[in-house]
Amino acid sequence: MKVTIDGIPVDLPAGTSALDAVFHAGRDVPYFCAHPYLSPVGACRMCLVEAGTPRKGKDGAFELDEATGQPKIFWMPKPMASCTLQATEGMHIRTAKTSDVVAKAQAGMMEFTLLNHPLDCPTCDKGGACELQDRAFEYGYGASRYGFDRRHADKHYALSDFIILDQERCIHCKRCVRYFEEVPGQEVLDFIERGGHTFIDTEEGGLPVGFQGNIADICPVGALLDNVARFRGRNWEYDHTPTTCTLCPVGCSITVDARNGRLERVVAGEHRDVNEVWICDAGRFGHVFATEERLTVPLVRVGGELREATWDQAIEAMRQGFSGHGSNVGLYLSADSTLEEGAALVALAEAVGTPSRDHWPRYPHTPMSTATLTDVATADALVVLGADLGEEAPVVELRILEALRGGLLPAEFAHGTAIADLRLTERPARTPEKLAVIGRESRLWRHAGLRVPAEGPDLLARLARPDTPDLQAALRLLEEAEKPVLILGADVLNGADTAFSAALSGLAGRVGAKVLVIPAGPNSRGLGGLNLVPGAGGLPYGRLGEVGAAFLSRLDPAAQGLPGRARGFTVVHDTHLTATAQGADVVLPAVTNYEKRGTTVNLEGRLLPLAQAPLRAGEGADLIRALVAVAEALGVRSPVRGLRGAQAWLEARYGLRLAELPAGGRLQPPRPPQDAATGLAHAPQLWKPRMLPRPERRGSGVPGREARAERWELPLAPAPQPGGDD
Amino acid sequence: MTYFADKHPLLADIFSRYPDSPQGRRSALMPLLREVQNAEGFVSEARMREIADLCGTTATEVRSVMSFYSTYHTLPTGRYHLQVCSTLMCALAGSDELWDHLVSVLDVQPGDVSADGRFSVQKVECLGSCGTAPVVQLGDEGYYENVTRQKCDRLIAALRQDAPPPPDNPVPVTVREDGRQMTAAGERVGASIHDRKPLPAGGDR
Repeated sequence: MKVTIDGIPVDLPAGTSALDAVFHAGRDVPYFCAHPYLSPVGACRMCLVEAGTPRKGKDGAFELDEATGQPKIFWMPKPMASCTLQATEGMHIRTAKTSDVVAKAQAGMMEFTLLNHPLDCPTCDKGGACELQDRAFEYGYGASRYGFDRRHADKHYALSDFIILDQERCIHCKRCVRYFEEVPGQEVLDFIERGGHTFIDTEEGGLPVGFQGNIADICPVGALLDNVARFRGRNWEYDHTPTTCTLCPVGCSITVDARNGRLERVVAGEHRDVNEVWICDAGRFGHVFATEERLTVPLVRVGGELREATWDQAIEAMRQGFSGHGSNVGLYLSADSTLEEGAALVALAEAVGTPSRDHWPRYPHTPMSTATLTDVATADALVVLGADLGEEAPVVELRILEALRGGLLPAEFAHGTAIADLRLTERPARTPEKLAVIGRESRLWRHAGLRVPAEGPDLLARLARPDTPDLQAALRLLEEAEKPVLILGADVLNGADTAFSAALSGLAGRVGAKVLVIPAGPNSRGLGGLNLVPGAGGLPYGRLGEVGAAFLSRLDPAAQGLPGRARGFTVVHDTHLTATAQGADVVLPAVTNYEKRGTTVNLEGRLLPLAQAPLRAGEGADLIRALVAVAEALGVRSPVRGLRGAQAWLEARYGLRLAELPAGGRLQPPRPPQDAATGLAHAPQLWKPRMLPRPERRGSGVPGREARAERWELPLAPAPQPGGDD
Repeated sequence: MTYFADKHPLLADIFSRYPDSPQGRRSALMPLLREVQNAEGFVSEARMREIADLCGTTATEVRSVMSFYSTYHTLPTGRYHLQVCSTLMCALAGSDELWDHLVSVLDVQPGDVSADGRFSVQKVECLGSCGTAPVVQLGDEGYYENVTRQKCDRLIAALRQDAPPPPDNPVPVTVREDGRQMTAAGERVGASIHDRKPLPAGGDR
């Protein structure tokens, strides 16, 4: 399809919107309401262009321009919104660059948009990264003709604990309303009133926790703001670090914004194959622990209490503590550690000769996944078995919902994802009959056509040989589909063994389904293949109390009600003084996954890179460096003493090339995880207690809510009114 | 007690006007709102939730639709809901003074109901009776035209006796329960749901 934009001929696939055609030709058009993953609605009227098409005469041939002999272009009488206009064969488009009509129309629309927009950019968090600011500069008149007072409304309207709405700043682009309707399928936000009085509100008593934070990302102005990051910094002050979220096995692309060594904000990044542009609320708002109450120096138990010490003193204390235990040392790490850290731990365990090494959480046996998240989004039948996706892998839920509304993956152009995908429609028709959920009740239930309440590890066997009409219907759904995907979660995987894997591949082969297994930990898919499970005679993590001496990295068994100490001597490497750390003999400061370089493996088996955000961590060290200290205390020399060494070790042993991983990662089926009994059941929990934001705890010098009330509120004084003007 | 709990025939009738699909059920939103408002004078949040459940949508959507129309009320209205036209023609003829007089005599503000439960007031846009300005509309009954101070006082006194005088003119066009519009002269306009006929096979030739 040939389209001409400002005289530039381009060749485009059929169905492309005029907006994408303009960007494809290297020209620019301003827009606020269009969004690559939302339906185009033409609400903001900023993307106006002049468009015209050739016309065929009665003889079926193009009507020709008598002067040039070329097909005559019949221009539409008024400028058109390019986001809802489909480019057609032979269409000519003029943007503001070549058309004064368009330039004037856009400047006029900008004036309308700014009619009620407050001029509070200097105090607005969005300032410097605001689409309205940029576009007003590029396409506006540059001067205001409004001498009158603007619309006044509530500037601090809390839609929920996490999202604050400034009703004055809203330009009614409807992105947030469409987002809730189209992406998580929750119609909880809508326009109230009409005309200039329109504002956004919910009648449900607050936004549901789950995926609400995404509206702060997509808001083109500063109307919807992340309350955790509000007033914490300006956009140009943040150090932006694109990295991977390691709170769950999905591995969403995120950008970590730090300022003065503090993690202030997390925003979603785009990864078309993993999270598109959406992340869950835990990933966005649950970052506060990275800045609050961090351990910054090693602690050594002296005379019964933990005292601050230097790393040298900690190594000396470890040398004394480990002596006498020989190789009876247990090495345990959290399953959100990187592959490189896992390699360092295995290398040290082999150098010491201890079989007691483990990562947690993990399942005794994890079957292999064959489906990618794109397979999930384009599946024509989905069966979710024993999984609470809201706790285990929230973004998988969004990809399932994407499949239910047609599985339309947006097209890709040189300028990125298609900005206005005309196949996406407002209030999309959904096909809940494509989804069957078998297990305990979860958030996904209300989207499923078939809901089977059940629990227990035998669900897979019951699905393979259905004993109830509901299960028969679920099996029929898989059998009759062409691209079915079976998703397995904690409830069935806790009891998994090799027979389970065989039954799973048998069922999947019979019905032609791909399988997506949700691993227990964020990187247990990767760590499981690294010989990181107890060897012969070794003790798993659950039997920590029987080991002579132990080193625990970012694990807190005491908080789970498990033994928090080894028999003799315990070293804890953690970012916070956890319950386990409080009972340890030596505590080494760790760094969070926001401050690491390395590689993680997500549930599809995709290798994803982690980058280091500049956070203040004191003397905190990642596991590789902490293990160098431990090796020194144990009197051995580990072959892995740094990131490069770990990558070289992984390449030499497993052929994994991690050094030149592209930014978007690489899909590479990981080594099958090794089996070993855990003796424990894993209960997935997305929000850990320390992730809940408490503004008072953030060390800002702001007194707590109670303290403020005590100081300022006189008895019987009326409650403070919300709102007010800046 | 929910409003529609004992009104199954009415619900079935309303829903029968729309396609039997999730989108079709949503279309029943407007008649359900009108039904509640006619009965109770306003639509409370509890009723919004009830209607949302019936239509398979959320209370947010119901409130969004409702708030778009100025004739749906979210606050209780009195037995006599007085709507004063405040558009240009009536304003030139003294509707502002009429409004001030009405509000001070009745001691009621927009959104409030007078203490005896009788009166609520609202400023509305043009009622289309500019030749007889200023105009006050009583509920859905009709117009009182050329409302002077004396006429206003007589009207209030009559309403206080619960004996509203006949309106000077009925509301020009009313929509009846079956969806048919009826002019004040008793003339039918537009179609009713009962006029529906299946489309001829192969289209209308």
